[in-house]
Amino acid sequence: MSRPTPRITGVLVTLSMLALVFLFVRGCPSQDTNAGTATTTGRRGGQLVASARGTPRTFNRLVAGDQPSDTFAMLTQGPLVRMNRATFQLEPWLAEKWESSPDGLTHTLHLRRGSLWSDGTPFTSADVLFTLQAMYDPKVESVVASGVMPGGKPIQATAPDAQTVVLAYAQPSGSGIGLLDAVPILPKHKLEGALKDGTFAKAWNTGTAPSEIVGMGPFVLREFKPGERLVFDRNPNYWRTAPDGQKLPYLDRLVLQFIPEQNAELLALQAGTTDLTQSELRPDDYVPVRRAEEEGKLTLIEGGVGPDADALWFCLDPEQKKGDRRLAFVQKREFRQAISHAVDREEFAHTVFLGEAVPIWGPITPGNKPWFSPNVPRYPYDLAKARDLLKSIGLEDRNGNGVVETADGVEARFTVMTQRGIAYYERGVSVIREQAAKIGIAFEAAPMEYPSMIERLLKCQYEAVYMRPYFSTLDPAGNLDFWLSSGSTHFWHMAQETPATEWEGRIDSIMREQATTVDAARRRELFNDAQRTLAENVPVLYFAAPRLYFAHSRRTMGVVPSVMRPPLLWNADSLSVSGP
Amino acid sequence: MARFLIRRLTFALVLLVCTSSAALFLTRLAPGDVTSQLGAFAPRAEVEAARTRFGLDRNPVVQWGQWISRAVRLDFGDSFLYNRPVGPIVVEAAGKTALLAASALVVSTLLGLGLGVFTGSRRAGWLSACVRGASVMFISVPPLLMSLILVFIAARTRWLPTGGMLSATTVDASWTESLADVAWHLVLPTLALALPIAAAFERLQSQSMSEAVRQPFLLAAIARGVERRELVWRHAWPVSIRPICGVYGLVIGSLLSGSFIVEYITAWPGIGRLMYEALRARDIYLVSACAAAGAGFLAFGTLLGDVLLAVADPRVREDIEA
Repeated sequence: MSRPTPRITGVLVTLSMLALVFLFVRGCPSQDTNAGTATTTGRRGGQLVASARGTPRTFNRLVAGDQPSDTFAMLTQGPLVRMNRATFQLEPWLAEKWESSPDGLTHTLHLRRGSLWSDGTPFTSADVLFTLQAMYDPKVESVVASGVMPGGKPIQATAPDAQTVVLAYAQPSGSGIGLLDAVPILPKHKLEGALKDGTFAKAWNTGTAPSEIVGMGPFVLREFKPGERLVFDRNPNYWRTAPDGQKLPYLDRLVLQFIPEQNAELLALQAGTTDLTQSELRPDDYVPVRRAEEEGKLTLIEGGVGPDADALWFCLDPEQKKGDRRLAFVQKREFRQAISHAVDREEFAHTVFLGEAVPIWGPITPGNKPWFSPNVPRYPYDLAKARDLLKSIGLEDRNGNGVVETADGVEARFTVMTQRGIAYYERGVSVIREQAAKIGIAFEAAPMEYPSMIERLLKCQYEAVYMRPYFSTLDPAGNLDFWLSSGSTHFWHMAQETPATEWEGRIDSIMREQATTVDAARRRELFNDAQRTLAENVPVLYFAAPRLYFAHSRRTMGVVPSVMRPPLLWNADSLSVSGP
Repeated sequence: MARFLIRRLTFALVLLVCTSSAALFLTRLAPGDVTSQLGAFAPRAEVEAARTRFGLDRNPVVQWGQWISRAVRLDFGDSFLYNRPVGPIVVEAAGKTALLAASALVVSTLLGLGLGVFTGSRRAGWLSACVRGASVMFISVPPLLMSLILVFIAARTRWLPTGGMLSATTVDASWTESLADVAWHLVLPTLALALPIAAAFERLQSQSMSEAVRQPFLLAAIARGVERRELVWRHAWPVSIRPICGVYGLVIGSLLSGSFIVEYITAWPGIGRLMYEALRARDIYLVSACAAAGAGFLAFGTLLGDVLLAVADPRVREDIEA
């Protein structure tokens, strides 16, 4: 385990003090008053066609969290503040500036003056209050609400005037007003009736007439043909402008064409039917897409290292694994450390991701630039060390069958559940199986359909699993369900009443403090500590994080890839095309 | 005839209820449910709310009872994936599948019967051999492979659209332009579906025709000096068509099952693709409604096959009337 050197610590302390002084003098300002202007200049007009593999479940983002619904909200609605998906900085959006109290409990937001909804109605603080009221209404069962409850309580909002909103938090939040990035502001004049008569959860379903969908986003819905396409026209009342002063978005029209099959999606891009795909390329597609780029058919861009990585873990819930004698050694961290030492991460990256991945030792990858710590404990490829670790917990190959066992004959033999049909999952399990076999641990792959796998996962009806869990946000305060032992995504042992181990208890207290600390430097220090503790105990084994590649047509301009979703449409207002 | 139709319609109704109920039970009893679509680690409250909304917290028999009692009022439940009633979604998709199936049926019939008559009415020749060889090849290629090959050719040559039903450029198009665009998009999935069926029709028609031309009444016609074209099309073909009519109904049913993968690969927004998506997601009521639509297609197909057989063969007509 490595700790920061005194010199680095000194720099951190100085920076923390400077930040505190700054906060004291100015409150907590973080606004960038230039967010209303795009950073690049594009060509006005034209139509861009993006492929999509799924259709939105609803046009009301508060009631569904699926990716297509989120993308729809991003194109047609706007939050008060926005996390820039490329710089990871918080930007003013519908709120043009704000002040936060030093204790982080009160935030005063000033709304953008003169802004209009797409139907021409003025945007006011009443819309913000209405959105929060709808989000916290128990009848609505909003999927967004649980992530926007500092201290587990709803934010209290008041509006001193039509352009100002004051938000009172029950407890400081490490994310500050960054929490509001997930909340699209909805028009009171369109949805108030539905909230009053209890039909808000069904309002703005996908059968709603496009003219009824009003927003503050860059586009307005023109047409929805289920299973075929979504057509958006530019919002004439959108508030952002280009550097040359012209109003955004550049595009007159954006079409999302539904192509559910990924091979067909790529062929459509190569054929020029679509301009971009919304998801990253599979490792198997790198070579053909590079060839197509060389032929001048499309452009390949690297988005950086992804923030999520494939992982291997065991069910460590003693209640669910009663009677399984293997639990005695699986629960020992030496066992998991031994597997970590046995896997050659360079070879893993080369085989599973065809070389387009970087080795990792924890859940936070270099793709999560604000929170990645390079100083977590590492487990270099060392088979002798791995065998020693197994021996230290009584696992040796006593009968010479190539598999280690305990003194009473319990073999280290496991079935690894993974999702069927994903080639790199199957390659990943294959590499782990081969490399673990060298130290006497036997893995057998069991690919299965996604719904079946999820059912087993949630009931802990598995021995080991290999898949890619996704974090909902980059900010660890937004992923407490993973870090806290009581969390529903603490997947190796979910929803513990009290921490099952000392180190999980330690992470609980570190993360609770981290999530309620306003000081950025202190938050980072605490989170580094949590990452270090997790990597020491390896409840989940991480091997490599893939680099993300995207492809788009050569006529598409202004593409700024992000490792967050949606990776290319997050800045749809700044995309343009070089031809009609 | 009326009794025959009533009998067939009753059979269709029973088929619809049995198929959709079986689909509901099988989807319910398969491991995993639709809430997996909320993500691997969705909040428990969200998962429970979805389970309650879709009746997954109830006993499967109770759930079926409630579903069937709503279904008689034409309320087939909501789709999780589309978050709206399944009825209009399935009706819209079924219309698109019917268009694709009809187009494939027309192409396969014209191609298969025409070539079958050609190869069956001649003894030998290199052209007949080529047609036979092509038929054997197309019968052997499954629709999945055929779709992939055609999509690949379309992408490389850009002769045809690679998928979908409408171009992105048709948003402001007139209805005639839209119609032409749909027809243009129809070519690829139609070929993917029609070629194997046309090949099967060709083989059936060819064999049946070669038997028909050896019948004594045809020898008598030849002796009377009837022209070859009239001999083939007026005398031999009506006799040889019976086996084709017999399998026509089944072919309509198989068009639907074949369309699953073709619609998925070519992004044709029909019932096959909808059911595939619904099955993958375990979207229980959508699966049931799609299965009912599939059963409807099959019932309609067999009825149409019987009617065609009755038209083609007076003996069958007499049986029905008796």
